[in-house]
Amino acid sequence: MRPKLAYSFPEEVLEHVFSFIECDKDRGSISLVCKSWYEIERWCRRRVFVGNCYAVSPATVVNRFPKVRSITIKGKPHFADFNLVPEGWGAYVGPWIKAMAAAYPWLQEIRLKRMVVTDECLELIAKSFKNFGVLVLTSCEGFTTDGLAAIAAHCSEVEDICGHWLSHFPDSYTSLVSLNISCLGNEVNLSALERLTLRLNRAVPLDKLANLLRGAPQLVELGTGAYTSEMRPEVFSNLAEAFAGCRQLKSLSGFWDVLPSYLPAVYPICSNLTSLNMSYATIQSPDLIKLVSQCENLQRLWVLDYIEDAGLEVIAASCKDLRELRVFPSDPFGLEPNVALTEQGLVSVSEGCSKLQSVLYFCRQMSNVALLTIARNRPNMTRFRLCIIEPQVPDYLTQDPLDAGFGAIVEHCKDLRRLSLSGLLTDRVFEYIGTYGKKLEMLSVAFAGDSDLGLHHVLSGCDNLRKLEIRDCPFGDKALLANAAKLETMRSLWMSSCLVSYGACKLLGQKMPMLNVEVIDERGPPDSRPDNSPVEKLYIYRTVSGPRLDMPGYVWRMEDDSALRIS
Amino acid sequence: MVSGMMKPYIWLETSDGSIQQVEQEIAMYCPLICKEIIQKGMGSSKNCAICLPQRVSPATLSLILDYCRFHQVPGRSNKERKSYDEKFVRMDTKRLCELTSAADSLQLKPLVDLTSRALARIIEGKSPEEIREIFHLPDDLTEEVNGQNIRHPDSEADIIAETSISHTENVFPHKEFDDGDIDDGIDPALKEKIDRYKSKPYVFGNHFEHREVEDFARRLNSDWPERMQELLSSGQERKTRLFSPNGNSFLRRNACMFFHCL
Repeated sequence: MRPKLAYSFPEEVLEHVFSFIECDKDRGSISLVCKSWYEIERWCRRRVFVGNCYAVSPATVVNRFPKVRSITIKGKPHFADFNLVPEGWGAYVGPWIKAMAAAYPWLQEIRLKRMVVTDECLELIAKSFKNFGVLVLTSCEGFTTDGLAAIAAHCSEVEDICGHWLSHFPDSYTSLVSLNISCLGNEVNLSALERLTLRLNRAVPLDKLANLLRGAPQLVELGTGAYTSEMRPEVFSNLAEAFAGCRQLKSLSGFWDVLPSYLPAVYPICSNLTSLNMSYATIQSPDLIKLVSQCENLQRLWVLDYIEDAGLEVIAASCKDLRELRVFPSDPFGLEPNVALTEQGLVSVSEGCSKLQSVLYFCRQMSNVALLTIARNRPNMTRFRLCIIEPQVPDYLTQDPLDAGFGAIVEHCKDLRRLSLSGLLTDRVFEYIGTYGKKLEMLSVAFAGDSDLGLHHVLSGCDNLRKLEIRDCPFGDKALLANAAKLETMRSLWMSSCLVSYGACKLLGQKMPMLNVEVIDERGPPDSRPDNSPVEKLYIYRTVSGPRLDMPGYVWRMEDDSALRIS
Repeated sequence: MVSGMMKPYIWLETSDGSIQQVEQEIAMYCPLICKEIIQKGMGSSKNCAICLPQRVSPATLSLILDYCRFHQVPGRSNKERKSYDEKFVRMDTKRLCELTSAADSLQLKPLVDLTSRALARIIEGKSPEEIREIFHLPDDLTEEVNGQNIRHPDSEADIIAETSISHTENVFPHKEFDDGDIDDGIDPALKEKIDRYKSKPYVFGNHFEHREVEDFARRLNSDWPERMQELLSSGQERKTRLFSPNGNSFLRRNACMFFHCL
C-alpha cells in the first residue's frame, strides 16, 4: 500500500540516472532514500570501495551488489607502514578473492592497499575473471614473482595489452622480488599500445632506455632505471633524441642515482610534464633547479630537500599550476641540517602557487608566523602534512608551542580533509582543530597534547572525522569513553603508547557492539595485568560483520555483552 | 523530403487525447515517431494520428519539440549545441523528471542522457532525506527487503559508502578520464581513443617506487640499526616519554620516531 509517487520512473530510466553518479558517498545516499531505490541501486552498482576489510564481510558485499566490476579494499591500519603493527596481524585478501571468484565472473579491476596477497590469490585472480584488466597492489605483501607471472601470463593472452609494468622492490624488503626488464625485452611490441606506462627496473641501462623510448613514442608515464654510468656523449645524444620523441610523456619518476650531466636529455619534454617524482634522485640544488624550473605545467612534484629554499622559490615562480608538493628529507637522522631548507621554502611556494592543495613537507624548524602566512596564502589547502623531524620542537623564533600556527591552518583552510601535526603542541591545538576542523577526515598525531581534553576536543568537534591515528600522547580513558558513540561514525581509531587502560577497552567492547575493540599487546594476555594498566596498542573500528576470526595471538578482542550472554 | 514551399506535417496525439500538427522533419528526430511514420505509415492525417506513449503530456511534448527543432538543424557547432543544452535543462525538478521519462518513451537518447545527467547533478551531494523530499519518495526503508530486515542500514551504508581519503595518492592514468563528465570539451576523436584504452587490461605492480612516505620510512628503517648505534654512542639525549626500552621493540618503535607526525 505504497503512497502514489509524485515522480515515477521506469526502473531503467532511474538506473540510467544512477549511472552518472559514481561517487561512493552519493551511491550510499541513493541507497538510503527508499526501498525501490535501494534495490535499483544495488543492482547497478559497479564500483565498491571497502575502506576496512574487516568492516564488512565478503559475503555481505557480493550478496548486496551482484554486478560489481571494480573493487578497492584496504587492510592494515596506516601506522603499519611505520612498523607499528606486528607481523601476522591480518588483512588477508584470500576470503575476498574466493567470494568474488564465485560471484563476479566479469570483475575487471581489483585494487588493494596494505593487504596480504599470496601467490595462490594471484593465481585465483588470473583464472577466475575472464575480463580482468586492472590489478593494483599498494603496500601489499606475501606474494612473489610466481604469482605475478600468473597474472602477466593471463594478460598476455589478451590481444590488446595496454600496459606492462616492472617494479623495483626495495632490497631491504625480502618478501618481494625484483623483476628484470630483460625478461620482457625485445618480444614486447610497444608500438601497439595506445597509452603506455612503464616503470623500469633499476638495472636498466641507459642505452636500453633510449631504445625503449624510441619504440614507444606514445609513452605517457615513465619511471626510469638507474642512470649511473660515466658520461658518454653518444649515449647522451641518443637519449636526448629519444626523449624528444616522447611528445605525450606526462609523468616522470625513477632517476635513481642519476648523473646530473644526463639530466639535460629530458629538458625538451619538461614543459609537457604534469607529474615529476625526483625523490630518489640525489642530485643537488643547482641541477635540480634547472630541471624543475623548466616544468612550467607541473601539477605534482615529489622531491628531496636538496631542492632547498632557493629551489622552492624558483618553483613558486615557474610552476604556477602546482597542486601537490612533497619534500622528503635526504638525511633525517643527521643531527645538523645538511641542506638549506627551512620553513621559508614552503612559505614561498604557498605564495606563488595559487592552486597548491596538498603538501607533505619535512623540515627541521617551523614558526607560528610561517604557518599563519601559509594558512592565509592558501585557504584552498585540502591536505597538509608537516613533519618537523625532531619531535616536540617549539617555534624556533619564540620558543612557543606551535598551537597557534596549526590553529591558523585549520581556521583558514576550511576544506582541509587531512592533517598531520608535529612540533611542540599542547591541548590548545586540539581545541582549534575541534573548533575549526569541520571537514577534517583524517588526523595523525604523535608526541602531542597534555591531557584527555585534547582528545576530547577532536572527538567531539570534528564532525567528519573518519580516521584518527595517535601515538605517544598522554590520552587516556576519559575522552575515549565520553565519546564512545563517535567511534561508530568513524572508520577507525588507532592509539599506541598512550594511557588507555585495559579496563576502559573492556568497557568499550562491552557497550559498543558495532565496534571491534582490538588490543594489540605483545607482552602477553592483558588479563595477566591489572585493569588499570595501559595497553600497548589499541585499534578500534566499526563493523557490520562482527568479530574477525583470523586474529593472531597478540591481538585480543574485547567482547561485547551479547557474546558474553551466549557463552 | 523535398524542401520548398510545402513543409510536410504529421499528426500526434498526446496522453490527454488532444491532437496536434507538427513539422515532420522535427518530429522525426524522435526515433519512435520516425518508426511510426516509416514502418506503419501513421501520422499523415488527423484520423491516423500517432498515439504517443502515456508519459508524453502536451507540455512535455512541446519541450521535446523545442529540443528537436534546435538540434535537427545540421549546421550547428558542438559549442552551440552544448550551450543550448545547458540552458534547456534549467527547469524545476518535477518537469525535468517528466521530461526524462517522456524522452525515454520516445527513445530520444541524447535528450534522455542530457536530462538524466541533470537529474544526477541534482541528486549528487544531497542527503537521503533531501533526495526523498525533492522526489516525493516514501521513507520505507525500515521495512523488510527481500524477507530480511536491513540490519543497521545506516552503518552498512556508511561503511560501503565511504570514499577513499587518500584520493590522489596513486596515479592511475585511466582514472584521469574517469569522472564521467563529458561536458569538458574533449575532442571526440581523442575521447574515442580513451574509451578504447579503457577497455584494455592494465597491470600495475607494487607502488613502492612512487616514494610514498611509507616506502621511504621502510627504506630508512632498514638503515636504522647502524644509525642507532652511532646515535647511542654519541650520547645524544632524547625524550623518552611513554615507551619501554625493550630490545628489539625499542629499536623498531624508535625507527619511526622521525615519522611520528605521519
